Amino acid sequence: MSHAPTDASRYADLFRVEARDHLAELDTALLALEQVARDDADGDTDRDAVRDERRSAERDRHVATVFRAVHTLKGMAGAMGYRAVERISHALESLLDRARAGSITLEAYEVALLFDATDALSAAVSDSADGIDDPEREEFSTILRRLGSVTSRPHTDDVFASVVAVDIPTDARQARTVSIALTADCPLKGVRAMLVSSRLRALGDVGVTTPPQARWNDDDFDGAFTLSFRGSATADEIAAAARAAGEVARVDVLAPDAHDDRAPKRGGLPGDERAGASGERRVAGDATRHVRIDLRRLDMLVDLTGELVITRDRLLREADRAVERGADRALARAVQDAARIVTALQHEVLHARMVPVGQVFDRFPRVVRDLARDLGKDVQFVTEGRDIELDRSLLDAIGDPILHLLRNALDHGLETRDVRRLAGKPAAGRLVLRAARDRASVVLQVEDDGRGIDRKAVLQRAREKGLLGANQTEGGATVDDDRLLQVLAHSGLSTARAVTAVSGRGVGVDVVATRVRALGGLLSLETIEGHGTVFTMRLPATLAITKALLVEIGGDTYAIPATHVVEAIEFDPAALLEESGRELLAVRGARIPVLRLRQHFGYPGGAGEGYVAVVDVCGRRTALVVDAMIAQQDVVVKPFDAARGGAPWFSGATVLGDGTPSLIVDLGMLV
Amino acid sequence: MSRTVLVCDDALFMRTMVGDILQQAGFEVVGEAETGVQAVEKYKHLRPDLVTMDIVMPDMGGIDAVREITRHDPAARILMCSAMGQQALVVEAIQAGAKDFVVKPFQPSRVLEAVNRVLTAA
Repeated sequence: MSHAPTDASRYADLFRVEARDHLAELDTALLALEQVARDDADGDTDRDAVRDERRSAERDRHVATVFRAVHTLKGMAGAMGYRAVERISHALESLLDRARAGSITLEAYEVALLFDATDALSAAVSDSADGIDDPEREEFSTILRRLGSVTSRPHTDDVFASVVAVDIPTDARQARTVSIALTADCPLKGVRAMLVSSRLRALGDVGVTTPPQARWNDDDFDGAFTLSFRGSATADEIAAAARAAGEVARVDVLAPDAHDDRAPKRGGLPGDERAGASGERRVAGDATRHVRIDLRRLDMLVDLTGELVITRDRLLREADRAVERGADRALARAVQDAARIVTALQHEVLHARMVPVGQVFDRFPRVVRDLARDLGKDVQFVTEGRDIELDRSLLDAIGDPILHLLRNALDHGLETRDVRRLAGKPAAGRLVLRAARDRASVVLQVEDDGRGIDRKAVLQRAREKGLLGANQTEGGATVDDDRLLQVLAHSGLSTARAVTAVSGRGVGVDVVATRVRALGGLLSLETIEGHGTVFTMRLPATLAITKALLVEIGGDTYAIPATHVVEAIEFDPAALLEESGRELLAVRGARIPVLRLRQHFGYPGGAGEGYVAVVDVCGRRTALVVDAMIAQQDVVVKPFDAARGGAPWFSGATVLGDGTPSLIVDLGMLV
Repeated sequence: MSRTVLVCDDALFMRTMVGDILQQAGFEVVGEAETGVQAVEKYKHLRPDLVTMDIVMPDMGGIDAVREITRHDPAARILMCSAMGQQALVVEAIQAGAKDFVVKPFQPSRVLEAVNRVLTAA
């Protein structure tokens, strides 16, 4: 491939994306390094040779990771001619080189410097991708000077420092990814996978597996899996051991630099020869596993597949009709075959867009650390469920809301050390970022064990701001969490700075709520004063397709997201009750508030209401009265800007099998 | 010298079939067991190169028999014979020390491949 000038901007994009991956990796490794340095400083009262050795091995491993990331960045910048990035990474590399050789020790000061240098590097990367390249910038030259002064510290072993090899050998401490596919007709694939894993265990350490080992015995395990391997065995030895377990169709052993299989990554820039030296994958089998793909191209594929799905349904129906009219069955069979293929294609294409939330989670430990330090708070930050997968476009959009919530928790939720001690809590606050799968949804939670939200102060403030009408009787601390969230999410309130000081919360909740809703998700809140707060975002795992209950209202078809539908029953007007002006429907002893959609959507009222869809939104049930139930099916969502359209209770539109359009009801807005 | 094998299954039909497959491949069936208890006793007595072990047998099942045998001889080479749907049991058997498995209905080629793997395993 040539370096045609017209491609420069495309490479710049590639550079930016890939450089970010490496910067994130750098951050993660530096955090780990910092932890080791801290443990070292703490643990000097009782020296323990075994522990020291383990720490030193751990430190070496993190330094190697940092080195590798910096080294790759340098090579990429060199290929692009970005001088600022190249210089900073070169200076960093020199320092790390000496650290690897053992002629400098990385203690608190050095690690802090590495963090600062990473920030400068990150700034330089952004600049470069924007077309600015100024290696003389004040900020950069300061960092270069500081790095230089550490690197040039005299040391007795100095003579050796200059001859440290630049390329990184595949040493035993670096994890390699082993990707394995079992034969298609292999019986009990899960057990066979276990045998493969135990064969490899005889050669070295086997770590994380994808899918996780617990899922190997699931019905849908197709015999393709990857595991991380640490050990000195060669790729051929690893492949041979895996094959010896039997029923193995293919084994790929990836070199350490390509160990991250979570996303298409690290192809190396075109023309970048270093990619070959530092991390080009070594393949013992035959197939290539990953390619980078432009997100827009993937979106286009999803969109076209969506159209194809709609056409598939129409074709199936037409083929049925044709057969009824006496046409040859061969046509119907061919259409059914095509339909099956379309379904499989849809599944694959959607899956291609799914990425593990860990990709976004990785950004936060660093932010949390910095903010906690600025605020003078001790925080133990935990992430859970990193391999839960989410649609790529959702993942991109969800980073900011998560950051908002983390910031809130750190700033307002968690108390300072002294306050916590007085309250009898551990000095370090606990902040958890969690992802979990719940049916078709992905649940993301930000949980802190801080002081909780002061309801009284929030309501007081809301009343002063005139956000709560005089007729609203909520007084004191009696409102429930849902109502509290509504108040908090009111933009008039959450921008009011004073609230922050008084109540301890409120900044940006409106932004978060709006964003989550725009993604078709729901935000909910649980808070206990003195004990902490949990914000929960419930998101659809994919935006592109959703299961919907199709209903008829006033002659038109509407789609209700099926994830929220509890049951569909016939509408019995005799079961209606009235309570303080509100209509309730008695369903097996429960009284559920009624919403007549005919009326709500502005159709003429009257006869025709025949069914009820009971929906559950955040634990609150509502009986939606509709004319008729049509079907439950997958619909392809075409988002639109509801706010501009003036119909706030629709989240999108879809085109049904027969080509008619239908609006998708936004339950979070409606009930 | 041909390799020796102990065939354990409560069904005569299965024992005969497995025995035939192995004999044709040059093994010598030195014993058969109908129960787990028998399997353990005969193993100690015969010291075969290979054991084929059914999972479900009366009077001590195959998995317990594997456990007993490997306790007695950690180097024992045991091939589990399972039916479809016994995934969890096979996992347990392997954790107990069995080296590999085949799934009924048996295809001679698969059985021999598995036997080969068991015998060449480190």
